[in-house]
Amino acid sequence: MFNEIKESILLSIEALRSNKLRAFLASLGVVIGISIVIMMGWLLGGLDKAMQDTFSVIGTDMLYVDKWDWTEHRNWRSFRNRKDITIRQAEQLKELHGSAEYVIPNINQGSTTIEYNGETYVGMIAVGTTAENVHTPVGNLQLGRFFNELEEEFGSNVIVIGHLVYTTIFQGEDPIGKTIKLNGRPLRVIGVVQKRGTMFFDMIDRQMFLPIKKYAGIWNVDKRSMSVGIKAGLDNNLDEVRNETIGLMRIIRNLKPNEENDFSINETKAFEKTIADIKFKVYAVGIGMTMLAFLVGIIGIMNIMFVTVTERTKEIGIRKSLGAKKRAIWIQFLVESSVLCLIGAFLSLVLCSVIAYLAATYLPLYFPEIGFLLPVLPTELFVIAAIVSLVVGLLAGLIPAIRAANLDPVEALRFD
Amino acid sequence: MPKTIIDIRNISKVYKMGTQLVHALRDVSVSIDENEYVALMGPSGSGKSTLMNIIGCLDTPSTGTYLFNGTNINELNDNELAEIRNREIGFVFQTFNLLPRASALKNIELPLVYSGVKKYDRIDRAEAALKSVGLEDRMEHKPNELSGGQRQRVAIARALVTAPSIILADEPTGNLDTKTGNDIMKLFQNLWESGNTIIVVTHEEEIALHAKRIIRLRDGLVETDEINQNQVKF
Ligand SMILES: Nc1ncnc2c1ncn2[C@@H]1O[C@H](COP(=O)(O)OP(=O)(O)OP(=O)(O)O)[C@@H](O)[C@H]1O
Ligand SMILES: [Mg+2]
Repeated sequence: MFNEIKESILLSIEALRSNKLRAFLASLGVVIGISIVIMMGWLLGGLDKAMQDTFSVIGTDMLYVDKWDWTEHRNWRSFRNRKDITIRQAEQLKELHGSAEYVIPNINQGSTTIEYNGETYVGMIAVGTTAENVHTPVGNLQLGRFFNELEEEFGSNVIVIGHLVYTTIFQGEDPIGKTIKLNGRPLRVIGVVQKRGTMFFDMIDRQMFLPIKKYAGIWNVDKRSMSVGIKAGLDNNLDEVRNETIGLMRIIRNLKPNEENDFSINETKAFEKTIADIKFKVYAVGIGMTMLAFLVGIIGIMNIMFVTVTERTKEIGIRKSLGAKKRAIWIQFLVESSVLCLIGAFLSLVLCSVIAYLAATYLPLYFPEIGFLLPVLPTELFVIAAIVSLVVGLLAGLIPAIRAANLDPVEALRFD
Repeated sequence: MPKTIIDIRNISKVYKMGTQLVHALRDVSVSIDENEYVALMGPSGSGKSTLMNIIGCLDTPSTGTYLFNGTNINELNDNELAEIRNREIGFVFQTFNLLPRASALKNIELPLVYSGVKKYDRIDRAEAALKSVGLEDRMEHKPNELSGGQRQRVAIARALVTAPSIILADEPTGNLDTKTGNDIMKLFQNLWESGNTIIVVTHEEEIALHAKRIIRLRDGLVETDEINQNQVKF
């Protein structure tokens, strides 16, 4: 059997070589179909990677107590009507929390203006926080250090800047020890956070972290709602920490048993749903198109295989007269249609590799939000493409192969 | 007593053409022994090719029995018939029936491929067969790079390569000029003299005279079946 297939592969390559143009046209449908499958897998792979990146930015063991919901944008009015989470409430939560490893109040000031070296920069985000933030993903620094508890206590003039702040303002210059001005107040740069931004969280690299007390000296803390980061410590502790957080917040915010939560618990799980939605759409569109393309592909290949069988009727007769069994004949034609499809898969992989590389390299220059595209196709796609094309080849070749195998040898020999 | 290879008893072959029945063979009984050299003659449409196809197990009779080396062919399935064609029968056709894209050597290897002979063994045997028909210097030639006579030699080498019980040739010289046709007949004579069993279909008297026995068909019946007293040898 193995030997037979090997012989058939050589035979079919020879047969296909003798009619290259037709082989190419025949596999076009398959090329399109498999390309769609590959591109879909490539997009999904990119989304997955973006999701993983986002998770590591936020921390899978982190919860954020917010007035706003990260992913729910539809009824933002009801969120706006919620009362702010005050600094006092954040401190209470920190005092009362038993199961969390760290409770870290954050307060954000968007559209901050920075002055440095006589230049003014806009659009950055100042975050007042505590020294414990060093234990969250924010603590992964590219340069320098995070501020410590003493600096937090005294409200020192220190700041840790996000990656985009660093590249925008310092442009390669060593930032550590340099002084920048926020709202005219001088702050010494002591650290730079690693690049963290992803498609789902691109604002994150614009952040700058300073002690809450210092923040309070610059901006009015009562004007903004706090975001309280809660580190569970261990992933499997998350449910307990979440439950305690909700319970405490309801007490702190004086909610009656029949009232809904007037705060949101944000966590990486929320993104899973968003990404699952996107993935589902990609799947739905992709599978629809794939089915269509494969139908066209299978019909195309089947048609060519019927033509091939008819053209080679005499050859089939000769082979049968020399003792070829039915099995040998149908294997020959099944192998031929499979080889045809595998060639299609190979062409698709080449085509898609080029597209993926070009798209991932150049498109994000114009559309930064699709920076999640992978420049190299995931290896499993090569396996999938091969398997799918084999299945298509076998399906498309089945009926023509059976027809060939069942030809009457005398009739076939008479054919011209 | 010589061994009987072909034992055909009262076979008929009927084709349906729409509503019309064509009796290609009516009632034919023939017995052929090992190392016979038989010419099958008769006018066009008399049933020569039909009988040949049945003898070669490409076709089966409508009625009657056919014992090949003692095996009842009617009881065999497609695969078993293919095996008999592969091992026991060597066909030579008027139109050569070589695969156009394959070299002479590849064409000769083909029956061995179907009997599962290993590659190196196959090449050895195909080369030997090609040598025996005097074409050892044409191994890599494609059929369209060979003359008609050379093509028929390749076809004969292909028929010989499995060392079959019998060689069946349907009008083997029909597409060749007299000189080349004679060369082919010389080859058959050599094969016969070295112990092969040969049946040649022809409607040319001169060709038939090379055989040891001549069977004449007419309208699907055996008209005469006699030893050729005037066998012409090269
Ligand atoms: N597949 C078929 N369907 C219908 N009739 C057939 C078929 N094959 C052969 N015949 C008929 O059977 C008869 C015998 O045909 P066959 O080919 O055996 O003749 P032949 O003796 O070989 O003739 P020729 O010398 O012309 O080759 C003819 O009348 C032919 O028309
Ligand atoms: Mg004939």
